[in-house]
Amino acid sequence: MLLRNVFTKTVRDLRWPTFWVSLGCGAMTGYFAILFPTYSKLFDLNSMLEKMGPAAKLLGASMGDASTLIGFLHIELFSMILPAALVAFAAGTASGFTAGEESRGTIDILLSYPVSRRRVVLEKWLAVVLASVVAVVVLWVFAIGGAAISASPLPPDLLGAALVMLVLLGLAFGDIALAISAATGNRGAAIGLTVALMVAMYLVDALSSVVDGLGAIRPLSFFRYYMGDDPLRNGLNMGDAAVLAAVAALFLALAVVAFERRDLAA
Amino acid sequence: MTAAIETRGLTKSYGRSRGIVDVDLVVEAGQIFGFLGPNGAGKSTMIRLLLDLIRPSSGEAWVLGLDIHRDRLAIDRRISYVPGELSLYSELTGRQLLTYLGNLHGHVDAAYRDSLIERLELDPFKRIKTLSRGNKQKVGLVAAFMIRPELLMLDEPTAGLDPFVQLEFERLCEEARSGGRTVFISSHQLPEVEHLCDRVGIIREGKLLAVETIADLKARALHRLEIDFGGPVDAATFSNLPGVRDLAVTDGTLRCTVMGSVDALIKAAARFEVHNIRSIDTSLEEIFMAYYGSGEAADKTAAGEAGHVAA
Repeated sequence: MLLRNVFTKTVRDLRWPTFWVSLGCGAMTGYFAILFPTYSKLFDLNSMLEKMGPAAKLLGASMGDASTLIGFLHIELFSMILPAALVAFAAGTASGFTAGEESRGTIDILLSYPVSRRRVVLEKWLAVVLASVVAVVVLWVFAIGGAAISASPLPPDLLGAALVMLVLLGLAFGDIALAISAATGNRGAAIGLTVALMVAMYLVDALSSVVDGLGAIRPLSFFRYYMGDDPLRNGLNMGDAAVLAAVAALFLALAVVAFERRDLAA
Repeated sequence: MTAAIETRGLTKSYGRSRGIVDVDLVVEAGQIFGFLGPNGAGKSTMIRLLLDLIRPSSGEAWVLGLDIHRDRLAIDRRISYVPGELSLYSELTGRQLLTYLGNLHGHVDAAYRDSLIERLELDPFKRIKTLSRGNKQKVGLVAAFMIRPELLMLDEPTAGLDPFVQLEFERLCEEARSGGRTVFISSHQLPEVEHLCDRVGIIREGKLLAVETIADLKARALHRLEIDFGGPVDAATFSNLPGVRDLAVTDGTLRCTVMGSVDALIKAAARFEVHNIRSIDTSLEEIFMAYYGSGEAADKTAAGEAGHVAA
């Protein structure tokens, strides 16, 4: 059933990575949601963060009110761990789509069937979109479930808004990795450059309020759009979402064009 | 009738040595065509160009009358391909892979596919990663033949096949031909394909040197002979025989190369006491060198070959 076309075959290829990322992120979020009341009784997180000052900003904990579960999740998970996990997942898999088929040598057979290069890129891309959505839906269920167990209020719509931004951030970086690997056939370069870019953008965003001069280039960082308007408090900012979606679409288009033009590795 | 493959001035440059140069080739439909050349001559480059996996530096090409780039999907519905370095999705079983490829193609006669699996004695339930090279090759061959394509492009298809499968493979090719389909086989070994092909094209260093029938090629083939005589013989007796070249006689042993028929030499030798005759099959490379070749690369290879035989 999963061997119908390139999309379903890719879904099949990604089934275990998707399972583990979903379970890992979901379990982590559920764990924090369940234990949140205990944490907040033991530590006064807000005053701890205040004492840390700028260091807290480097850790991405500049925003969010640690006295509520949603603010706590923002500080603990949404500022750093979840975006890193989703970006790593999207970029790691997308970089292996065409470059993986090339290095394994399977691209020759695949393209000798009536499947265009464009279709190969788009169908594989669709599979990573589906996998990312599955991961955040599982995460949402675990978070809501954990919050129900610990009887902590957690607005499902605000959590959903943050997860939409999380998926878009993952796809923006994932599509950059896809474009690099489609243009070069080099998976390692695609992963390396994408991760380096992610770290640089993260630092620009996290430090822009502390370091003079970084504020000017902050709009170049995807992280500015991801949590800049705090969707966990304010809900979905359509403008920010559109920026990340446009970046993702641009690099997807570049990936298609680059892959269509290239001589493929033997 | 539309040619199965036609190229005009097809060129692919990769810096200095690889690639193909200005190839004009017509492969008529309904033939088994052998595309012969030593390793690195440009055979795979040619096939990958025809499949639009790489793009020509210049020139044009048509497959089944269709432009290789613009009409790509229309071509892909009507051809199949087995790469030389066959790589398949190793995590799948043979059957799963054939299902996937069949779905990508759209029209596969399952009964015919299963009959191919049976004929090639393929175990379709084993994961491809556990298969030997020859068994992997079987999967590739079933995949190629199961869609009954109008043109089969097989890059070194016989490498790693055991004799039984080799025979079955040849039957499949002949069946395809009698069904009016075309088979394009690349190989670096003439003996593997000579009894199968109607015509062969010979490529060396990226240049198409000749397109000939097998009969013509054989007439020009080289045989290297060594004859041990019971006593000393005079080299002059043999030196003027038709086709004999590179003659040397030492201690009652004659060594020479014969172009075409060895009849005259054998009849001349029969007048003496003959202890033994050794015939050393000539490689394609030697045929190339003898008839088309010169240049530094050929000389180097010739020296290597001679050294190898002497050892």
